[in-house]
Amino acid sequence: MFDVILQAGASVLLDPVTLGLMGIGTLAGLLAGAIPGFTIAMGVILTLPFTFGMSPIQGLATMMGVFVGGFSGGLMSCMLTGIPGTPSSVATTFDGFPMVRSGKPGLALGLGLWSSFFGGMISAVILVALAPQLAFLGLEFGPWDYFSLIVFALTITVSLSGDNMIKGLIAGLLGLFAACVGEDEINGVARFAFGSDHIRQGFAFLPVLIGLFAFSQLLSDVEDSAKAKAPLMKNSAEAIRVEHRKAIATVLMNWINLIRSSFIGIFTGILPAAGGSISNILAYDQAKKASNNRNEFGKGAVNGIIAPEAANNATAGGALIMMMALGIPGDIVTAIMIGALMIHNIIPGPSFIQDEPLLAYGVFIAFFAAHFFMVGLQAFALRLFLLVTRIPMYILASVILAYCAIGVFALHNITFDIWVMFGFGVIGYFMRKLGFPLAPMILGVVLGKLAELNIARAIGISDDYSLFITRPWSLFFLIMAIVSVLFPFYQNAKKRYFIYKNVCSNKHDFTCLTIIFNGKPCQNGCGRYITFSGMLFHL
Amino acid sequence: MTNNKSDIIIAIFLLCFSGVMINDSSNIRDLGFEGMKADAWPRVVLWLLVVMSSVMLGKSYLKFKTVSDKDNENFSINLAKFKNALICFGMFMLFLSTLDYLGMLIGGILFVFGLLTLLGGFSHKLIVKHLLVSILSIGFMWMVFTFGLRVILPEGEILRVW
Repeated sequence: MFDVILQAGASVLLDPVTLGLMGIGTLAGLLAGAIPGFTIAMGVILTLPFTFGMSPIQGLATMMGVFVGGFSGGLMSCMLTGIPGTPSSVATTFDGFPMVRSGKPGLALGLGLWSSFFGGMISAVILVALAPQLAFLGLEFGPWDYFSLIVFALTITVSLSGDNMIKGLIAGLLGLFAACVGEDEINGVARFAFGSDHIRQGFAFLPVLIGLFAFSQLLSDVEDSAKAKAPLMKNSAEAIRVEHRKAIATVLMNWINLIRSSFIGIFTGILPAAGGSISNILAYDQAKKASNNRNEFGKGAVNGIIAPEAANNATAGGALIMMMALGIPGDIVTAIMIGALMIHNIIPGPSFIQDEPLLAYGVFIAFFAAHFFMVGLQAFALRLFLLVTRIPMYILASVILAYCAIGVFALHNITFDIWVMFGFGVIGYFMRKLGFPLAPMILGVVLGKLAELNIARAIGISDDYSLFITRPWSLFFLIMAIVSVLFPFYQNAKKRYFIYKNVCSNKHDFTCLTIIFNGKPCQNGCGRYITFSGMLFHL
Repeated sequence: MTNNKSDIIIAIFLLCFSGVMINDSSNIRDLGFEGMKADAWPRVVLWLLVVMSSVMLGKSYLKFKTVSDKDNENFSINLAKFKNALICFGMFMLFLSTLDYLGMLIGGILFVFGLLTLLGGFSHKLIVKHLLVSILSIGFMWMVFTFGLRVILPEGEILRVW
């Protein structure tokens, strides 16, 4: 194994072209992460077409650079302007921005930067150690286990998608249906083609994702004319000299927080659907609970910066563990990363690490090396970021829309792919407006074919449907799926019980009953109805 | 934009969509092989979609009946709010429809220039700025893809003749 790691390391680290491309990728990721309204997923999408002509290892190194840079880029805007660049840097704003305003911008940026670096390094070590073992375990999975794992991944995405679980489920089902269109994988029979040869080929994976996510996001960004015409940021920020030495010393002095937050990030990344947007807040919360100086949090606490930044970069490693070992994307970013790998004929899964060890370890080493680029390029990215933020959103959006069209065309050299992107862009935009979460649909599109293939294999091997509940791993994933669906209801019930115990003076009062069952007092016209978990009861 | 009324409309639309697709799934050929048929999985997905859409319809309808009339009246489609998005849709559609004639280079420049001008404004200074942005950005990308990545982008009738 050591030989393979050395060979993979040499292919990434000793090739100046690969290193240069990784540097460019990291810079692009840092910028995408830093600009509010852009996300890491957008960075990955926009960089992807440039990797088409590269060798697999070069393409993967570039994408890893974007991936790692994106997770760290958010800290620049959140610290300097108080606006989080990405959802994964929201908690950094709580203490990063106050520290900058208190006159320590160099230290604040340094703390964020080095916490991201150390968090990423810890997760890289865990990635190299754990992913092959998890893949080895994955080799024992039968199609029943795989299908149940996919069900779990989809249900947990739905349960984390917000208040309206029904809309999340519908979005997930629409994604699964979109993956059904075209020739089926098993029999090669056309489905829902309506006589079109293009549709018969099915919807290519990336135009659908770019449409659903990037196209719809850009349209939302230019919706408000006044905002679209104004520069991206009103708060002016200046380039700052980062205090590296002091920041490294401070981060290492708070090593318990660093390690705890990194492990929170890794664990959250491994979980399907839970990404950096959750881990940074969880880590911040735990750091605050563990601190002896809780009052300092929110006023520029050192640990309030270390925790979220270490956690969000560690999440990237955690998500890669699941993606590389089992081929299951954790969130939108990793779903697009899977698409990026597929462009280079790499289909992550349990056998991938065994079959293509050079490429697999190449990905791990690229992830490791990208963190060094991230540290080295942060100062340059900061200057670029300050330049980019002077551009109004409508200019960026217009150029990027055209760029998306060129990039999507370059995928298969057919115009139909651009139509697919446009069609799904319109669907994605209306879904956003109508309150449907996009993450379940994107995961549905990514996992749809895999789910169908595995259930077909399971039925092909045996008619015994009870295998889905008698095989331990399958049963485990199905139980987890049920728990993930029921958990939000449990949380709501707990909240209502808390209100019942602490707020209601007269527990038989009608208003109080509606608070207990509805979570809030009944509106006018409620009459003799109460709702419980979305179901209506007549009193 | 969302409220109970809009959710009712969406749920009905989803039910109609599922109905059309379930009906079309009967046209999927059965090759007579053992194992799972080609129409089985899509049907499972579509029937689940029917169930979920029905639940959404029921929930929205019941909420619609229980909240005050004033709350229900709040839903209206304000087209002015979506003006920019509609402009983007229209321009992109125009760009795609004319791609075979104009090609990616000319079509792309015209698309970006048109969109920038419609979204940003029509003053002389802005028009010059938009023209520069569109020519430089699309020209640069066209060169990167054509010469750097060796992607043959649509040439279009005009460039072909010229």
